[in-house]
Amino acid sequence: MPLLSAKDREYVRDFFNKELQGKVELVLFLPAKAEEARASRENPYLPQMLELMQELTGLSPKLALRVVRPDTDPEVFALYGVPLGAYPVLALLGEGGVDYGIRFYGIPAGYEFRTLMDDLVDVSRGHSRLKPETIRQLADLKTDLDFQVFVTPTCPYCPKAVRLAHQFALESPHIRADMIEATEFSELANQFNVYGVPKTVINQGAQEIEGAVPEEMFLEAALAAAAETG
Amino acid sequence: MLELGSLIESNDGWRLPAGEAGGNGGDGDATHYDVAVIGGGPAGLSAALYTARAGLRTIVLDKSPYAGALGLTDKIENYPGVPGPVRGVDLLKTMRDQALSFGAVYIQETVLSADGRTTPKEIITASRTIRAERLIVATGSLGRVASLPGEERLLGRGVSYCATCDGAFFTGQPVAVVGENEEAVEEALFLTRFARKVHFIVKGHTVRASAELTAELREHPRVTWHERTRVKEILGDTRVEGIRILPSGGSEEILPVKGVFVYLQGNRPILDFFQGDVPELTPEGYVKVNEEMETSFPGVFAVGDLTGKRVRQAVLAAADGVLAALAVERQLRGREKIRAAW
Ligand SMILES: Cc1cc2nc3c(=O)[nH]c(=O)nc-3n(C[C@H](O)[C@H](O)[C@H](O)COP(=O)(O)OP(=O)(O)OC[C@H]3O[C@@H](n4cnc5c(N)ncnc54)[C@H](O)[C@@H]3O)c2cc1C
Repeated sequence: MPLLSAKDREYVRDFFNKELQGKVELVLFLPAKAEEARASRENPYLPQMLELMQELTGLSPKLALRVVRPDTDPEVFALYGVPLGAYPVLALLGEGGVDYGIRFYGIPAGYEFRTLMDDLVDVSRGHSRLKPETIRQLADLKTDLDFQVFVTPTCPYCPKAVRLAHQFALESPHIRADMIEATEFSELANQFNVYGVPKTVINQGAQEIEGAVPEEMFLEAALAAAAETG
Repeated sequence: MLELGSLIESNDGWRLPAGEAGGNGGDGDATHYDVAVIGGGPAGLSAALYTARAGLRTIVLDKSPYAGALGLTDKIENYPGVPGPVRGVDLLKTMRDQALSFGAVYIQETVLSADGRTTPKEIITASRTIRAERLIVATGSLGRVASLPGEERLLGRGVSYCATCDGAFFTGQPVAVVGENEEAVEEALFLTRFARKVHFIVKGHTVRASAELTAELREHPRVTWHERTRVKEILGDTRVEGIRILPSGGSEEILPVKGVFVYLQGNRPILDFFQGDVPELTPEGYVKVNEEMETSFPGVFAVGDLTGKRVRQAVLAAADGVLAALAVERQLRGREKIRAAW
C-alpha cells in the first residue's frame, strides 16, 4: 500500500507542477545491501524512507532519486560529507548538481514532510524566501557554519526551525544545515543533550537555539557563532 | 521508537496543509476565509457573530472553551440579557451557537503560529493551515512566563511545554505534568504512551476538562493523581532530576521524575503564536490598538483582555469584538464609514 493517499498524491503532484522550476536530484544515503535487514530492524523507518522518496519523486518529472550505499558508492558519501555509517540521509541537489548543503538525517515524516516539499521548491528555484536583509547579511558570511536542527515528526513547532536553517544553507555557500530526526539519531541527540525540540546546534555547540524563533534571532545566533568560531 | 503507523494515525495522514509556497486558496475552499478569529471567548465569538452575519466567511480557532477567563468562571450573573447565575462555559456555548447559526465555522484547535505581516494572514494549527484576509486575535490574558523555581533554567533539559514534541525523549521514564486545564489532561494522556509513570499535579481538587477525559486520566494505570498539591521547585543541575511538591496538609516530598510538562495559566496576554514577531505593545505589555481595535499590523485586530483594559468584564470583551468586526467588514467591503449594522 502506498504511503501517500490518493488524495495527497494528487495534491502534491499538482503542487509540484505549479511550484517547481528547475530540476532537483534527491540523493538518498542508505546502508549496504547486506546490512539492510539488520538496519531496518534497528530503524523501522528505513524501508519507509526509500518507499516515500520513490513515491515522491514519481510525482514530478523535475525530481530524480539516486540511491547510494557505502559499499558501492563510498566516494559519494565523502563528496557530500555524510558519515559512512549514517542512514537514512537525504541531500537535495539543485540544477546541474549544485549542493546547497541541505540534509535530512532521518525520515521527513509527519510535520517535516511539508518542510521537504517547501525545500524542494526553493532548491528548484535556486533561491529562498528569507527577508532581503537576512539574505544580504548571509551573503557577507565568511565562516563555515554547521547547523544541526533536532526534531521529532510529531512536533508542530519544528518545521519553522528546519526551514530557516535550510534556507540559510541555500543562501550561503558557507552554511550546511542538517535536519536530525532525534528518535532515529538518538546518539547524536544524547551527545547534544536534546530533551526538547526543536533544538538547533550551531558548530557543535558554539551557539544553541531552543525552540522556534523568528528569522532575526536565528540570524543573530548564526552571526554570533561565526564570530566565536572566527 | 514511534511507529510510522501510529504517526499517520495521530497526525491524520501525511498532512499536507497549504505551505509557504501557497497551494490551495480561493473561493469555496476550506482553507481560505475572509476572517480568522483566534480565541473563542466572548471577544472572539462576538466578532465572529458580526462578521458571519455580515456574510463574511468566518472561522474561529479556539484552544478550548475551558481555557479562557470566561470558561473558568463558575458563576456569571452580570452579563446583560442573560439572567444568571450561569456557568462561563454555558454562556460561551450560547454565544458559540449564535455565531454558528450565522455560518461561522468553529474549530477547537490551538493556533501554533500566525503571521500577521503578510496578507492573506497565515494561521497554523497542528492539523491545518488557514489563510484569511483579516485576523482578529482574541486569546485573552491567561498566559504566563516561567515562574516555578528551576523552570526556566531547565527548559529544554527536561522541562517542556509540548508533550507531542518531546514525549519520545522520556520513553520508559517517570514524568510529571503540572496543570489544571483540558490541555494538561490531554497532554498527560499522550505521555502515557511513552512514560513509565505520569504524576499529574493539580493545585485544586479537580481540573477544568470534560468529565470523560478527566476520568480516563484518573483511572489510567500509569497515572498517579496528586490533588491539592503545590509545586515548590523543579530539581536538577544540567537536567531535570525531580520535582519537590507540597500536598495540602501534608509534608514536602520529592518525586524522582526526568521530565516536567507545565500547563499553568497566568495573567499575561497570550501572543506566543506570533513567535516573537508581535504587533506593537503598550508599556504594560498589552496589545496596542486604535479605536477600531486594529493593531500596528494592518489587517490584524486585537480584542478583549489582550488589550489590557482597566476593567475586565465579559461584556466589554464582547463589545471589542463587535468594533473589530465592523472595521473588518468596512475594510473588506470597501466602505468609507462604518455602517450601523442591525
Ligand atoms: C475568575 C474570573 C472571574 C470573572 N468573573 C467575571 C464576571 O463575573 N463577569 C464578567 O463580566 N467578567 C468576569 N471575568 C472577566 C471575563 O471573564 C474576561 O474579561 C473575558 O472572558 C475576556 O474575554 P476574552 O474573549 O478576551 O478572553 P478569554 O475569555 O480569556 O478567552 C480567550 C480564548 O482564547 C483561547 N485561546 C488562547 N490561546 C489560544 C491559541 N493559541 N489558539 C486558539 N485559541 C486560544 C482560549 O481557549 C479562550 O477560549 C472574570 C474573569 C476571571 C478570571
